[in-house]
Amino acid sequence: MKLHTKMMQRLTSLWTSGITRASLGLAILCGMAPEALAGGKRWGPVPFASDFGYRFEDLFWLITWLCVGSFSIVVIMILIPSVRDRYKPGRKAHFDHGASLKDKRLATVISAATFLVLDAWVLVIAMTDLREAWWNIPESEEAGVYEVEVLAQQWAWNFRHKGADGKFGTADDILQMNELTVPNGRSVSFQGTSKDVIHSLFIPAMRFKKDFNPGDINSVWFKPITAGNYTILCAELCGYAHYQMFGELHVLESDTFDNWAADASELGVAAYDSEDTEARWAWDWKE
Amino acid sequence: MTSAAISLPKEGIKSRVNTTLGMVFFIGSWSMSFGTLFLAFAVLRQRSGVWPPVGIALPSLPMATLATAVLIASSVAFHRALQGIDAKDSNAVRADGLGLPWIIGLVTGVAFALLQGWLWMDLMAAGRNPSSGLYESLFYGLTWVHALHVGIGLLSLLWATIGLAAGRYGSHRFSTINNIVIFWHFVDVVWIVLYLAFFIF
Amino acid sequence: MSGDHIHAEPTNFFRKHVFSVDHKVIAKQFLWFGLVWLGIGGIMAMLIRWQLANPGDPVPVIGSFLFPRTGGVIDPATYNTLFTMHGTIMIFLGLTPLIIGCVGNWAIPLMIGARDMIFPLLNCLSFWTVFAGGCVGFYSLFVPLGATEAGWTGYPTLSTTVNGLGSGETLWAIAVFLIGASSIMGGINYMTTVIRLRAPGMTWGRLPLTVWGLFLTSALNVLFIPVIGSAMLLLIMDRVFGTTFFVPASIMQGGGGGDPILYQHLFWIFGHPEVYILILPAWGIIGDLLSFFARKPAFGYRAQVGAMTAVTVLSAVVYGHHMFTTGLSAMLGESFMLLTMIISVPAEILFFSWLHTIWRGNIRFTVPMLWSVGVIFVFGLGGLTGIYCATIGTDIFLHDTYFIVGHFHLTMAASALFAAFGAIVFFFPKMFGRMMSPLLGKLHFWLTIIPLVSVFCMMFVMGYAGMPRRYYDHTSMEFLASLQHMNKAATHMAFLLGSAQLIFVFNFIKSRWFGKPASTNPWEVGTLDWQTETPLPHYNFKDIPTVVTGPHEFSHPALPEGRDWISMTEELPSA
Ligand SMILES: [Cu+2]
Ligand SMILES: [Cu+2]
Repeated sequence: MKLHTKMMQRLTSLWTSGITRASLGLAILCGMAPEALAGGKRWGPVPFASDFGYRFEDLFWLITWLCVGSFSIVVIMILIPSVRDRYKPGRKAHFDHGASLKDKRLATVISAATFLVLDAWVLVIAMTDLREAWWNIPESEEAGVYEVEVLAQQWAWNFRHKGADGKFGTADDILQMNELTVPNGRSVSFQGTSKDVIHSLFIPAMRFKKDFNPGDINSVWFKPITAGNYTILCAELCGYAHYQMFGELHVLESDTFDNWAADASELGVAAYDSEDTEARWAWDWKE
Repeated sequence: MTSAAISLPKEGIKSRVNTTLGMVFFIGSWSMSFGTLFLAFAVLRQRSGVWPPVGIALPSLPMATLATAVLIASSVAFHRALQGIDAKDSNAVRADGLGLPWIIGLVTGVAFALLQGWLWMDLMAAGRNPSSGLYESLFYGLTWVHALHVGIGLLSLLWATIGLAAGRYGSHRFSTINNIVIFWHFVDVVWIVLYLAFFIF
Repeated sequence: MSGDHIHAEPTNFFRKHVFSVDHKVIAKQFLWFGLVWLGIGGIMAMLIRWQLANPGDPVPVIGSFLFPRTGGVIDPATYNTLFTMHGTIMIFLGLTPLIIGCVGNWAIPLMIGARDMIFPLLNCLSFWTVFAGGCVGFYSLFVPLGATEAGWTGYPTLSTTVNGLGSGETLWAIAVFLIGASSIMGGINYMTTVIRLRAPGMTWGRLPLTVWGLFLTSALNVLFIPVIGSAMLLLIMDRVFGTTFFVPASIMQGGGGGDPILYQHLFWIFGHPEVYILILPAWGIIGDLLSFFARKPAFGYRAQVGAMTAVTVLSAVVYGHHMFTTGLSAMLGESFMLLTMIISVPAEILFFSWLHTIWRGNIRFTVPMLWSVGVIFVFGLGGLTGIYCATIGTDIFLHDTYFIVGHFHLTMAASALFAAFGAIVFFFPKMFGRMMSPLLGKLHFWLTIIPLVSVFCMMFVMGYAGMPRRYYDHTSMEFLASLQHMNKAATHMAFLLGSAQLIFVFNFIKSRWFGKPASTNPWEVGTLDWQTETPLPHYNFKDIPTVVTGPHEFSHPALPEGRDWISMTEELPSA
């Protein structure tokens, strides 16, 4: 019995020593080390390839630094009393209800400052970004806008281009599945809906996503600035094969793209089957 | 028993306030529930172009109006029945409570339930069932939920009637009967909103 | 008997332990119930993590028992069911029963000086309704045509018959409805009790912060659970009777019909307040515990109450931030973004108050204190990352990625869980008459907070790297396969986190029956619950106490040498 008590005491004092706890924490973090140190891994997003992509990155890192700053203050305010104000018998804590005028003023000033620095700053930039970029969906008449209709379904992306005649819903439309080819440097404007459940068009490299809901048409746009191949994902849970609902975006330089589009439109006419009602989905572009 | 040794808690004295307060919160909660249904109604109605849909059989307006009148009458009758009660002792409550107004309230309440049933049968007979379309979804869906509360209300009222006849309600249990009638008024108000939503606006 | 609110002590077993109307017994029922479901939800989390780190590999040891049909492999349908039920269980059957059902039932009557809840029978009904909801939810896992797979949010049309006819989804909706009904009953009971049964002298300004938190939560429960209740009814009708509230006609056939986005509005009108339903009691609990163990008055008591009330009100008008990518109009989107940002002001006041409460205290780092400081830490991380989610410019990318998963687990799940652990350890001595082992408690704390923070901070990186949530397998395409190393690391941490909970289970069971007997007021605090005998008599208080002092008068200068606390029933000596 006595031995037991003694051992418990030993254990307790060992535990309370900061070194034990620090080394324990370190050991746990080392558990993550093998994965962390192995090379050839990605630790962040792929570089952005749309003209508004930088806005996301800038805003993300602005918020990150604001958060790091504020959270550091919180951690310091936890650590200082944790070390300095540990319990000592006989010592009395500082008696303070924090209800004095001075405290109230301080709290007001700090929360106002927080709002202005943390929120208002971010808010103003975000509003500007939205109006100049994500919500600034180009009008049809604008020069150089490239329009695509999207029909999402379990579990595939269907894309429809106007084809040679410049109209949706005609025989020369270009149909693509799980693959989308667009010209570099032109605004690509989407209108999309879904056949069955909600899906969300997510192109990480272009820094945007938009839900496509059954029964409704949603619009979204982006302007690629770098030719290349990028991943298209579905970001909204859509059932069994949600994780396999991915496709590829090909951004081609404009002359290559024009050749591709002309060929594809001809192929579209050749493959057109007026009996196949399933394949004839399309709608008039909504302004 | 241990409770004999302890002093009478102050809460017992004001029990009528307590249960009424609880009932008020309940009604608030139920209002949010029906408010949600009416919000759904408003949104879905807004989305559909033509309202009410044309060219199909709709629930009968005269019968619905009659049902509304009957339910209002029921509420008024129960209100009168409670007004007549001076909740001093259970015998007085029995004598005052189980009068003509109470009986009228009960009969009109049952009549409303029958009329509601008729409205459904009539619509079904015209070939309109819950899966026929958005209008039917809303009509059946909302009236079902309401009818469920009518059912609960009627059962409680029946239970209260039996209790009244047995002389179970005196001063301290008067709040039970009061709360049941409050609930019934609530059911009434919800129906009026339903009626206005489907038949008037 | 007429005016006597206290029910007589039950004599038969059923009345005493099963269908009891005594708030103390019901609190313990909620405790066991919540812990069991926390365990089930936790095992589901471990299975999810296993699948993510080792996609398609059979689950070791328990796999062939759990999934005999596939030889221990989790298939995509099962995976969807797992994360759906993990969310539903943790929120509705794990945390809610613990932090509201157990803590509320235990703390409210005892802290305000009442002999029981005001409607004891309703209280009993509330527990057995949530119990029934749990049973229905559990049963839904085993129905023939498939369990729910639509996520805990149950968005139509995925949750309607468009996706499948399995009755699991319908049963899931019924379960949520029942659990909601239980919360409403509890909420009405708590509110009325706090309003009507406070002991003489227990003014609103002397109410312990725990009670304030629970009171505000109850108001949210009463007002917003009915919204999801109705949404569930509409969903059930769509599934069972073929109505079309949430099922639209196809665009190609001219559109019209129901609206799946309507459901999202209804769900989040409830769903956002639900976050605060779980977090308000947590704030209240730590507001008290920080003061109790720092041996200092709660800094800015009124400010804290005001901030919590402000959040309660604001919670009703910010829900749109869950729907920024659904095609919400620009005007609505911007309004919701602004309103959401405003929440950071009361949150800031709370942080300010908590940090000042421990500043220059005489801090006793007991286990409940560790958990309380832990709440400040994880809620700080979670709250700040909320800025990314509230800002549409960043949410447009981060929405439905692991960033969100990390954010809400830290904000809501971890904060509520930590506060629940703190409260359990804190109330344990009065509940069971024994102390929980502080050594095991501290070990449990450190082995929980370190891996927990690692897991969810890892998820911030994954989300920023563009990894969508609710994916069965991230290795099937190159874009995500290059992030798999983070999945593996997160899984290792998660397993550590999961196994650390065994320490708590062991400590809880061991202390429940073999712990060191507790004195009547082991933490030396002044609130009414600790001024009672241990074990508690059936009627709690022989005489209803009269309150003359606030709950947090620690280290008052007028107190005699060697004593730093005073009971709420004692007059402060005039200095
Ligand atoms: Cu999907
Ligand atoms: Cu929210």
